Amino acid sequence: MKAITGIAGLGFALALGGFAAAAEGGPLVSADWVADNLKNPKVKVFEVSVDPGVYERGHVPGATNIRWHTELVDPVKRDIASAENLQKLLSAAGVDKDTTIVLYGDNNNWFAAWGAWVLEAYGLGDRVKLLDGGRKVWEAKGLPLDTATPEAAKGSIEIGQLNTKVRARLGDVLKVAEGDKSVTLLDIRSPDEFSGKIFAPEGSKETAVRAGHVPNAKNVPWSKAVSADGTIKPTEELKKLYAEAGVDGSKPVIVYCRIGERSSHTWFVLAKVLGYDVRNYDGSWTEYGNAVGVPVANVAGTVWQGK
Amino acid sequence: MTPPSLDADHFSPTRIALAAVVLAGVAAWAYVLGQTPGAVGARQSFALLAGAAFGIALQRGRFCFLCNLRDLLREGDPRGVLAILVALAAGAVGYAAVFGAWLPNPFGGRLPPTAHVGPVGPALGLAAFVFGVGMAVSGSCLSAHLYRLGEGSPTSPFALAGAVGGFVIGFLTWNPIYLASVAEAPAVWLPALIGYPGWLALTLLVLGLLAALALARGRPGAAEPREPLTLRSAARAVFVERWPFLPSGLLVGAIATLAYLRVAPLGVTAELGSAARTAAGLAGLLPATLHGLDGLRGCATAVKETLLSENGLFVVGLVLTSFAAALVAGRFRPAVPTGAQVARGLIGGLLMGWGAMTALGCTVGVLLSGVHAGAVSGWAFLVFVTLGVVVTDAVGARLRPAA
Repeated sequence: MKAITGIAGLGFALALGGFAAAAEGGPLVSADWVADNLKNPKVKVFEVSVDPGVYERGHVPGATNIRWHTELVDPVKRDIASAENLQKLLSAAGVDKDTTIVLYGDNNNWFAAWGAWVLEAYGLGDRVKLLDGGRKVWEAKGLPLDTATPEAAKGSIEIGQLNTKVRARLGDVLKVAEGDKSVTLLDIRSPDEFSGKIFAPEGSKETAVRAGHVPNAKNVPWSKAVSADGTIKPTEELKKLYAEAGVDGSKPVIVYCRIGERSSHTWFVLAKVLGYDVRNYDGSWTEYGNAVGVPVANVAGTVWQGK
Repeated sequence: MTPPSLDADHFSPTRIALAAVVLAGVAAWAYVLGQTPGAVGARQSFALLAGAAFGIALQRGRFCFLCNLRDLLREGDPRGVLAILVALAAGAVGYAAVFGAWLPNPFGGRLPPTAHVGPVGPALGLAAFVFGVGMAVSGSCLSAHLYRLGEGSPTSPFALAGAVGGFVIGFLTWNPIYLASVAEAPAVWLPALIGYPGWLALTLLVLGLLAALALARGRPGAAEPREPLTLRSAARAVFVERWPFLPSGLLVGAIATLAYLRVAPLGVTAELGSAARTAAGLAGLLPATLHGLDGLRGCATAVKETLLSENGLFVVGLVLTSFAAALVAGRFRPAVPTGAQVARGLIGGLLMGWGAMTALGCTVGVLLSGVHAGAVSGWAFLVFVTLGVVVTDAVGARLRPAA
């Protein structure tokens, strides 16, 4: 009997909501939900991919392209995009005050997550969703792709001032390195970067002149939060995974990586999926590992320039 | 002119069977690649098939930048040059259609993604000129050496080996050249200056004028006798005789457009250059940093991560199907190389390798894909590579002892 009323209730809710409103509660939306909402005027999809030409050769129909290296960061100084530029970008894409923003991209949504963090920093918060699994899942499901560039009437979105509550700076991290126990520091790079065996992953141009990690940081590589199919793992598994490293939501957390984008992925998982109090340190190892006079934990003992 | 084929009058069942096996192998490989779920497998499969189509088009149309130019200048035969001009025009039209969807506003300060719009400066001119010299010395450009490999050419293996060496020299000279001439050279994209309609009209106008010039210079050839259309004559026209310039050029333009739409602009040197860079890097021959190289548009020579990149699949497809096409046409004629052929191949290849590395591509990657994309770099390569050939041939004619 309960099941029957449940099903009836669900049907009623779907009929009322028109477009599947059920998925909008959480920070993640499924590929099927996005596919069902392509024509929903209150949903705007953005692709944030690392590789050039990926968007143009086929994207989620109606999705707008965001070039992270010019549009999500300040192109001259090292900083996140200015409110003015972001406002222009979103407004031109037709984002209104009540639009749900869905982000997705290649490489496990790394830069889509960076985009979600930037938008969070500008106060857009719960209206921003990630397409769970990003391009990988969309392509694996064989869902349609489009090559046309969408056009939209100017949107009514208004972006607020930069909210620093989701952003950690060098000084915040330094406190933890020097023994402050009120914050947990989480390094989400690979174990070899964490131990100092390598300075950066193969092919990364931006690196630091010191190897290792920030003292007192725990290491949970970002990829552990992702299932084999590219989607984020179930909540219970995530809680267990991070609790084992001492991150259980009881204390504020700071996450970092090399340049701040992979850590946005973990920031999204911890802050949005698990609801913990998390800041992303976007300076990350390329700031800390280049800073003068800061303590460094270098387990592998690798010295700059190797030999 | 090409010598008439000895076997042109009868098809050899053995050769046809072998060609069919090769083509079936390519098709099966493409099928297997396409089974990888997601977009990667589909792209790899397409790259292989695009290369296969390109190989057939090159071999059957004898689409060779050097021989086509020499046919016109020496023999007064404009057909090959017309095929190139048709390919440039058809590709430009195709690219314009793609650009319209991908980058509706060309004035926004962005370049179309992955299109080969290279930096225009003295380094490009010099590299294209040296590439032209290498073409003239070795008897083909790099793409033609690849399809000639499929014809069993005695020179081509040495030209390709020489090109790998030339690439390594190119990497060694890259940093000073980059700082002196490439870093500040502008990547000029014509649609950003005059819009899509203006660019396309101008491109077609210039290509039309060049075609008129080629025809004016060409000697009217004797009309080829028209055979009545039978199964046999149609088969000969498709499988044995050189394809006329119009279908050859249109086919190359269509392949270029589809390749750009699905995978990347046409280019044949990325894999060769990557192999050279990876090997030289492992041998410790390369500078620790190649300034700015990986950020520039063109035939990227990234350090190898996989055995065969998409460009590698494209090139392998090209060689395999040109071999199959040459077999059927009776044009697969392997020969033991003479000392002169080895020397010309190695020296010409070396010059072409250096030119292709420094110019970020060759007659396909910079000239063809550049002109298609509205890049001034494509036109500059066209001018300087032609100069290189003309100067080398003129010097060669003077040096040659009078008979």
